[in-house]
Amino acid sequence: MSSDNHDGGDSNLPDLGDAIDIVTFSQILEMDDSEDDREFSQSIVFGFFEQAEETFEKIDEALEAKDLEELSKLGHFLKGSSATLGLTKVKDSCEKIQRYGKKENEDGTPETDEELCLSRVTETMKSLRTEYSEAETTLRKFFNTPAA
Amino acid sequence: MPEGDMAVAQGSSSNNSSDFVRKLYKMLEDPNYSEVVRWGDGGDSFVVLENEKFTKTILPKHFKHSNFASFVRQLNKYDFHKVRQSEENGQSPYGKEAWEFKHPAFRADAKNNLDNIRRKAPAPRKNQATEDQFSSNTQIAALSETLAATQQQVQALQDSYFEMAHANKVFVDEIMHLQKMIKAQNSVNNELVNHLGKMDHERRHARATSNHSAQFNGNNIMSDGTEEPPAELRRARDILASVSGDHIPEKDLRQMSIQFQQIGASPDSASSSSMMGPPGSAGMQNNFIHDPMNDLRHMVYPVGQTIGIDPFAAEHMGNIPYNRPLSQNAMGPGPGQGPVPEAGPAAMPTASPPVGAPQSTSPWGQKKPRVLLVEDDKICSRIGSKFLAQYDCGVEVARDGLEAVNKINSNPSWFDLIFMDIVMPHLDGVSATAMIREVSPRVPIIAMTSNINQQDLEMYFHWGMRDVLAKPFTKEGMIGKLKKHLPSFLRNPPAEAVMDQMYSNGGAGQPPTPGPYANPSLNLPMSAASSGPIAKFETTPVQSPSTSTSWHSPAQLPHASPNMAQDQGYLTAGSGGPMAMTPGGTQRPHQYGGGMMPAMSGPPMGHLPDDGPPEKRQRLYGPGPQGPYA
Repeated sequence: MSSDNHDGGDSNLPDLGDAIDIVTFSQILEMDDSEDDREFSQSIVFGFFEQAEETFEKIDEALEAKDLEELSKLGHFLKGSSATLGLTKVKDSCEKIQRYGKKENEDGTPETDEELCLSRVTETMKSLRTEYSEAETTLRKFFNTPAA
Repeated sequence: MPEGDMAVAQGSSSNNSSDFVRKLYKMLEDPNYSEVVRWGDGGDSFVVLENEKFTKTILPKHFKHSNFASFVRQLNKYDFHKVRQSEENGQSPYGKEAWEFKHPAFRADAKNNLDNIRRKAPAPRKNQATEDQFSSNTQIAALSETLAATQQQVQALQDSYFEMAHANKVFVDEIMHLQKMIKAQNSVNNELVNHLGKMDHERRHARATSNHSAQFNGNNIMSDGTEEPPAELRRARDILASVSGDHIPEKDLRQMSIQFQQIGASPDSASSSSMMGPPGSAGMQNNFIHDPMNDLRHMVYPVGQTIGIDPFAAEHMGNIPYNRPLSQNAMGPGPGQGPVPEAGPAAMPTASPPVGAPQSTSPWGQKKPRVLLVEDDKICSRIGSKFLAQYDCGVEVARDGLEAVNKINSNPSWFDLIFMDIVMPHLDGVSATAMIREVSPRVPIIAMTSNINQQDLEMYFHWGMRDVLAKPFTKEGMIGKLKKHLPSFLRNPPAEAVMDQMYSNGGAGQPPTPGPYANPSLNLPMSAASSGPIAKFETTPVQSPSTSTSWHSPAQLPHASPNMAQDQGYLTAGSGGPMAMTPGGTQRPHQYGGGMMPAMSGPPMGHLPDDGPPEKRQRLYGPGPQGPYA
């Protein structure tokens, strides 16, 4: 089954590219009762997909409403779950959105220009989407369930 | 006087006043010593000419020690004064090294006068304190250590007390059950006796008819007893009668059982519990909780030397063969007990009961820890609880701070450890922690956060969190925290882990902040807090006055040791910090949290102070926030 899909490397640490931190992700895989039936990890990952899509929608809405505070919250929210799954790049972008939403620069210094913050969020959102779909593809492939 | 040298001497100076002076006089009478110590030229003073010789040879003979400083101190206590050479002619007539001492009544020619030389009124403590300045710091440190250890002991005792209370609850239930059974058996026996009686009667009757003896008296053959009376049956009946008549203790047991229920009951049942028992039961409950507690304290305090060894902790506690869930469930079918207090919000249908036969694979001992995972993110909470469940813990999840607080409120001692997310809707983790601390001062609460800058950490610790688990958390990280904070649950608790926990204040087990109270601004709410909780104290029905007094004494100790500040591990837990939240503290966290608690609102906080669990509160407030921090 799915274990046939990842070729090479040892079976404990499948190669999922640099979008996913394999050490973190494999922790979740370890929670599966069986490697053939990755029920737990799969449901977690798919749950994350849903969550991410929902959050993206909300981010778009918040961008439209220019609601920086909401943007920061949403960034924080998705940051937590993406980090827990080991989606490093997604997590980094979420963190940026969280910062910009808090009217901070990337290094944490305060930024008073709200328009600048909003445009930064918009920019980050673009790369976030890319990073996310990359990770999504990898993960769907891993679980042998290509996007419908 | 060489002030510093005197500390050593303290102990040796409590004899009869004239004794010391007599010895002194006698010593000076000995001409053999004249090279070393003798009367001064005027006979109104005496001189120690050779300090070293005096100390080594004469002192031991006359004063049974060889400590010059101590000798000088003693002199000082009797109001002898060293004659200062410089004031005279700039040079001592007895040589540079000489020490000349003088007392107005101490003269070579006035032996009778010796009784007039008395020890000065016992030196007040203050004196000693200033004189012992140099050692006081170490003393304070030692005291703080003792105090910390003692407090740990007390709390461990409290824990084990509550464990025992729960175990007792089970016993009581069991006894009641047994009594019911006995009762049942009694009636069964009664039936049997009756039956046998009837049989007996019929047999006799049959015999009688066959023998043509026309006696027939209905059923009442036994009392009739004209023929040989069925003695066994009568005796059996008598015994049964006596057993069933003896029903007074059952009443007590039921009363006790009700009280136990109240102890273990949820805070929200405060009102329902008053409905349950007779009016007097509240008072009895008081005794129930407080007497043992006070005894414990009194037992513990004098035993202070067992620093670092908690005889009641770890091994023993882990081995208590009764688990709380057991006892709680066992209360359910209690006969004639009216409503079970936990029935309401306290019931935890989602709890995965960690009770069970110890499995050989489990890392835990008899009792598995119950962990509350407070996390708004579904992904994180699912993963987290999976980690914990795989590590054989009982896991429950709360989706935000409010839910967590409710869970704890409904049963403050249920959970053994809490993982707490910080940023959550409805109620953030820090506020939730502060509120939980009010009812459950001891449970380790571990912040899960990716914000790990110093300021945030200080705030977390300030509000009662015990440790931080960096996000994204790993299984190892999580398990590590479990092991660190619940060493007594482990099947084989490592000795040093137990110590670690006991000394988590300031010890290796301490979280990364060097001193959560280092920032003076953090102390602000403390002083504000001190009035709040105390006022509430007085309204708490079951508050025991001796509880507070016994805790106050340690608080009066000088608090110079920096180690104490780090006691926050559980001092915070027991002391004012988090409690400050309730008396209108809604805003307080904001000053630290910045935007962290935007979702907090009045109502959820408001209900706490009113129906908080009284039986728990008395021990929270115990340590007396006003001591070190107010």
